[in-house]
Amino acid sequence: MKFFTPFRKKSPWILHYNAGSCNGCDIEILAALGPKFDLERFGAINTGNPKQSDIFLVTGPVTYRSRERLVELYTQIPEPKVVVAVGSCTDTGGVFRGMLNVEDGIDRYIPVDVYIPGCAASPQLIIDGLVKALEILETKSKAIEKPFKLFGAVQMIGTKLSRLNMAQRVRHDEN
Amino acid sequence: MKKTVQIPLGSQHISLLEPIRFKFECENEKIIGVDADVGFVHRGVELACTRKFEFKQVGYVVARVCGLCAITHSLSYTLAVEKLLGYEANDRIKYLRMLMVELDRIHSHMLCLAHTAENAGFEALFMQIMAQREPVMDIQEAISGNRVQFDYISIGGVNRDLTPDLSALIHKNLAALSEKVDALMMLFDTNWSLSLKYKGIGVLSLENAYTYNALGPLARAAGLASDVRSESSDLPYEAVGYTMVLESSGDIHARNFVRLREIVNSIAMCRNIVDNLPVGEIQEKVKGKPKGEAVVRVEAPRGELFYLVRGSGQNILERVRIKTPTFSGIPAMMEVFKGSQYADAPAILASFDPCMSCTAK
Repeated sequence: MKFFTPFRKKSPWILHYNAGSCNGCDIEILAALGPKFDLERFGAINTGNPKQSDIFLVTGPVTYRSRERLVELYTQIPEPKVVVAVGSCTDTGGVFRGMLNVEDGIDRYIPVDVYIPGCAASPQLIIDGLVKALEILETKSKAIEKPFKLFGAVQMIGTKLSRLNMAQRVRHDEN
Repeated sequence: MKKTVQIPLGSQHISLLEPIRFKFECENEKIIGVDADVGFVHRGVELACTRKFEFKQVGYVVARVCGLCAITHSLSYTLAVEKLLGYEANDRIKYLRMLMVELDRIHSHMLCLAHTAENAGFEALFMQIMAQREPVMDIQEAISGNRVQFDYISIGGVNRDLTPDLSALIHKNLAALSEKVDALMMLFDTNWSLSLKYKGIGVLSLENAYTYNALGPLARAAGLASDVRSESSDLPYEAVGYTMVLESSGDIHARNFVRLREIVNSIAMCRNIVDNLPVGEIQEKVKGKPKGEAVVRVEAPRGELFYLVRGSGQNILERVRIKTPTFSGIPAMMEVFKGSQYADAPAILASFDPCMSCTAK
């Protein structure tokens, strides 16, 4: 039963959060949503509500005060979800790496699916990254909707869901 | 019984580009008190400028304070360091720097107008203005190689020259933009549904503008003549045809109109600069290390940008102090919110064009 996958693929809603960026990538996301680059032709629409979103666009190296809000927003987005890191400083910390109050990239806090480089990331790259994110969203959606056996089901879902994956990864790092 | 109700706005909200949190103290629908929290994007740029980076690199670091007015940040820092090094740029460099600052002002103002329209509920106008902004971004990309973070200004000059092809492109795109700005002025002035959201809403009176020290388009919309471009002599703004834009009513409509008329003025200045570009080198060797203290003021799209740079003859600077326009304008902004309806809050906020990454640095 793959009932929801086509709908998710055709209308991925975007949640945009600024975790300490310089605004450069944010205005490029606005420009990409505008008429010239027209990100909305993929069905994407910018929404302010995490509970209705599929794709999480994050800009900026995570600052000390925005990290709780970042994780909070991430946990409020329903599965399946895809996280896209827009800009060099979101990927690695970029020019802000090692500064006071900066946490050097978002993958210390939430699992990232697509990294978009560039300072500031150009609208072409943002569109490219979003198309990649759509493919990942489709596979994740199919994995969730696949029928499964009753016994051993918890283990099987656990490997599919990204949040539990992250938990395993953190434990592995500690060892 | 408590008569007021507290409504939060932010830190993540559909009408906000950047994280800022307001706590509105409301009596029914009317706002009677505001509390703002702006420090969500504090990154410690000032400290890093005096610890991590050498003075030649700092110009590119402070550009990352804000993506919208990046060029004014690197320009003010560069002017301050050039003062300390005892170097005066030639006319061609000054004119090329001014050209980029004015192009940046045009695209920043257009983004603000689009955002104000979106927050007033006019989504189609947002799309229209974003489409009309693209020619300016094309010019910037052609001149500097990047759309937003163009590291165009360096100590001792600029990094790329203006070729005749580029001049033709600038004239073509600015002519197209100029017609559309005229149409936009007509629309903002006469559209009935826009006037419901703009005219007479979010008023800052002239007395309050004086009392709370407003600056930039916020002050000029209230009739307070404050513009660094007419006060400072670092850049020859008088020579390229700068005129101050003043409105009197101080509401959102007046702020939009200040921005629109400044776009027209900036287009005229850009044309003048391209037509009358002096001959000269675009990059000159500057020797020495900064020693002493210098203060520079530059008019950013949002108001006065203030830089203090202190060096002691070392590669690493002693102090870089950045005072940004939004930070200075917060008291005046808080005053405007009081007495207006809660439903108008996003449109009023967008009309200030606040820049949180500037404020928190």
